[in-house]
Amino acid sequence: MRGVAVFVLRLAKRLLTPRNRSWGEAAQREAEEIEHPGEALRFAFGCLMWAIREAAADRISHLFQQGDDPMSFADAIRGPRGVALLCATGAVALGLVYMVMGNAPARYLMMNIGAFAFGLIALAILTLADGRGHLPGRLLAVGLGAVLLATSLLGVRVDGITRWLALGPLTIQPSMMILPLMVVLFARFRDGLSLIGIAVAALALALQPDRGMAGALTAGIAVLAFTRPNRSVLAALACAAAGFAATLVQPDPSPALPFVDQILYSSFSLHPLAGVAVVLGSALLTVPVLAGRQAKAPELAVFGAVWAALIAAAALGNYPTPLVGYGGSAVIGYLISLMVFPRRSALAAASTEAQPQAGASSDGDRALYVGAARAQV
Amino acid sequence: MGRHGYELCREADIKSGTLYPLLMRLEGQGYLAADWQAAETPGRPPRHVYRLTAEGRRLAAENLVPDTARAALPEGRPA
Repeated sequence: MRGVAVFVLRLAKRLLTPRNRSWGEAAQREAEEIEHPGEALRFAFGCLMWAIREAAADRISHLFQQGDDPMSFADAIRGPRGVALLCATGAVALGLVYMVMGNAPARYLMMNIGAFAFGLIALAILTLADGRGHLPGRLLAVGLGAVLLATSLLGVRVDGITRWLALGPLTIQPSMMILPLMVVLFARFRDGLSLIGIAVAALALALQPDRGMAGALTAGIAVLAFTRPNRSVLAALACAAAGFAATLVQPDPSPALPFVDQILYSSFSLHPLAGVAVVLGSALLTVPVLAGRQAKAPELAVFGAVWAALIAAAALGNYPTPLVGYGGSAVIGYLISLMVFPRRSALAAASTEAQPQAGASSDGDRALYVGAARAQV
Repeated sequence: MGRHGYELCREADIKSGTLYPLLMRLEGQGYLAADWQAAETPGRPPRHVYRLTAEGRRLAAENLVPDTARAALPEGRPA
């Protein structure tokens, strides 16, 4: 039993941040001195709970940190990424309203809600990895391009179109999920390696074929070519345009699916409020670009162009209406592409830096003072 | 004269998972000093010993538990 206690305390020590590890060491030494093994084990599990709380708090605080400069949750919400998350939430919620009004199957609603939760987790992981410099963005772009190509060659074929992958009971559209992220990553790096990813993606979309996604890729790269032209960007634009042209000359016989395609029009015939929900939800998708305009980052303009093009495609043809229509791939794709949004505007950063540090005392500390008095160390 | 962690747990009747964050914050705010102390028994590893600083003693004096609260504590438990 004592061995278990020591093991638990070692685990607790490992969970603690390096600056607090000496406290874990102290707790371990303390447990080793406890005479009764049962007491030692109880002591060890108490310490483990403490270490888990500390580790969780540390991980969460990292999500709201940029370098060594801490920020509050309020700053995060005020920042461009916070605005974008609110817009995504609003769009998904309005889509749910539309689907409820249209008596959509409950699993449609659950799919979008589940995708939203999954997308948030994926975004958190990506931003954490990106913030710590552990995200190989260029290689990721190439890898995602390969996934798109594999989908085109090996995916589920319906009516002569190969856009989907079957993952058990789920059928996903990988292009909707990963192409927006690929384009914003290319906007960040604009180099030869990420160009390979874009070229492979353009080929994959031409093979599927998918005019909507190929058009969105071209729109995003075209905006980049206007704002940050270089040799890689112009080459990417040529690839994207060629891929888009290839989709235009091929037939695209996919029929409109209820709650997925053509809902920008059909929702109004359902009920005027359902139509307003769909249009408003779609409009929300491009609002984050306005919130992030202070950052002057090309990725944000590219983000806006890609999603505006996808909405336009949904209005013009039988292509999914992102976030407001049924489909988890777009929800996840939108959320993970928010990775490139800064967590706060330059203005918010300046105001945060100007604020003095909070005092050591607070109402919450009162409990500690009383604890100290009781212990009378 | 300081106290060890387990001793404090027993005296204040709190769990180790509550004690250590409390100690960390008090130490961070300058109310508590935590030092490694060599063991009295040869061959044993050193242990953390905790002492209130002068500031900590003043704080403790300002927050003494009233007698009524003491009476409400379980019998035999030092407050």
